Amino acid sequence: MVQLGSRLLKGYRGGHVVIRLALGGCTNRPFYRIVAAHSRRARDGKYLEQLGCLDPLPNARGEKVAGLNLERLRHWLGCGAQLSRPAEKLLGLAGFLPLHPMTVTGAERLRRRQRAQEAAVPTPVVGGSQEHGETA
Amino acid sequence: MAALGAWGRAARRGRLWGAARALWGWRRPQPQRALGQDAGTAGEKKDGKPSFTDEAVQDLLYRMTGLDLQKVFRPVKQELKPPKYKLLTEKQLQEATKKAIKEAKEKLTMPPVLDEREPIDDVLAEDKILEGVETTKYIFTDLTYSIPHRERFIVVREPNGVLRKATWEERDRMIQIFFPKEGRRVIPPAVFKDEHLVTVFQQDRHEDILNMCIAQFEPDSADYIRVHHRTYDDIEKHAKYDLLRSTRHFGGMVWYLVNRKKTDGLLIDMIHKDLLDDATSLITLYHMLHPECQSAKEAEERKLQGVDLIKVFAKTESQKEGYIQLALQAYEEAMATSTAS
Repeated sequence: MVQLGSRLLKGYRGGHVVIRLALGGCTNRPFYRIVAAHSRRARDGKYLEQLGCLDPLPNARGEKVAGLNLERLRHWLGCGAQLSRPAEKLLGLAGFLPLHPMTVTGAERLRRRQRAQEAAVPTPVVGGSQEHGETA
Repeated sequence: MAALGAWGRAARRGRLWGAARALWGWRRPQPQRALGQDAGTAGEKKDGKPSFTDEAVQDLLYRMTGLDLQKVFRPVKQELKPPKYKLLTEKQLQEATKKAIKEAKEKLTMPPVLDEREPIDDVLAEDKILEGVETTKYIFTDLTYSIPHRERFIVVREPNGVLRKATWEERDRMIQIFFPKEGRRVIPPAVFKDEHLVTVFQQDRHEDILNMCIAQFEPDSADYIRVHHRTYDDIEKHAKYDLLRSTRHFGGMVWYLVNRKKTDGLLIDMIHKDLLDDATSLITLYHMLHPECQSAKEAEERKLQGVDLIKVFAKTESQKEGYIQLALQAYEEAMATSTAS
C-alpha cells in the first residue's frame, strides 16, 4: 500500500504536459483514453484529466467511436500542453486540427505501393492483389 | 492552431446556433401586444392554423382527457411495499384528494407534438487524399458537458475522406452511449418495428408502447411519429378510446384525429358514455382547426351550443351520420327517463 501511495504522489523535475493516448482494455481488446498527463509519467499511469476516449475496434455498425471533450482540450492546449503524434492525427481526422502531414504522407505512400503492386502484376488476379493489399 | 477557434466561433453564432434553436420552435420574443388585441386571433398561427401548443387548444384537449384518479394512479410495476393505511377526517380527506388531483394534473402533461425533423446532410470537409486509407468510418462526439444535446458536434469521417455531420440516428446513438438516459436503449428495441407493433396492439397495450416510445425516441424523430400514428390508427379502427382516456396521450390522439377529420368514432364513443361536454369540446376544436368547413360557419352564425352543435356537425361534416343520430336519441331518451323518474 505504501508503494502504491508513493507512486501516485510522485513529483517530477522538468517535463511538460502532454495529451496522449493511454492504453487500457484486455488481451486482444485495446481501448484508448485520451488523457492530459505529465510527459514523464507512465503511459497508463496517473494523469491530470481524461479528455476523451477512442475505441480502435469497429462496432456492429462498422464505426470506430471516439469521444473528445473539446472544451477541456482547448483549456489544456491553452495551458501549453503538447500533443503526441497519434493524438494529433486523431484530432486531424476529427477536423479539430488541420490534417496531419504524416497522414497525408502515409496515404500517398500507400497509394504508391498499391500502384507499384498493380504495375508489377500486369494482369491482376483478384485473390493475389487482395492478399498484397492486406499485408501492406 | 487557427482551426482551433473555428468550431468555437461557429458554435456561438451563425447558422448552427440559429438552426439548433429554430429546431425547437424558438422565435425572437414578440413585442408585447395590448391585452385585448389577441382575443380575436387566439389560437391562430401566422398561416391561420392553430397549433398544438396554443392555450385554447390545450385547454380543450385537456378537458377531453378526463381525470380518472383510479386509472392515473393505478399501481405501476414497482417494488412491492406493504400498503399504508391512514385515518383521516373528512377535511383531511378532501385535502388529500386535492393534492392527488394536483399531482394527477402534472402526470397528465401532454408530450410534445412536433413536425418530423429535417435530415442532416452537411459536409464539413472533403479530403480526397485520405481515400482508401481507412476501412471503417470514425465517429467523433464532442463530450463538453455544458452544451445542450441539440447543439453538440457529432461528425463522421468516412473512409473516402469526407468529413460530414452525423445523421439524426447516429447522433441519438452516440448521445445515448456517452450521456445515457434512463429508459432509453442505444439500439431501439425491435418492438417498435411495424410487424411487432401489431402484436402489442392485439394485447391492448397501447399506453405502454406509447410510454416506451416517449422514453426511447426524440419527439421530432421519424420513429416517434410513426409509432404514435400507428397506435392512434389502431385505436381509431377498433374504437378502443378508453385505453388512452385519462392518460397523457389522449390529447395527442385527439389532435391527430381532428387534423385528419376522423372524429366520428370518438364522437359516438363520447355520446355513448354521456360525456356531452367532451363532445362539444371536440367539435369546437374541429371548428378551430378547420374554420372553412360548413358546420363551423353555421355554428359561428347561429351561436350553437351543446346538443344542437353536435346535430349540425353530424349533418354536415361526419360520415357516420346515422350512428351519431342514434346515439343522440338514446342519450336524450336516457335523460328524459332519468329526469322523469
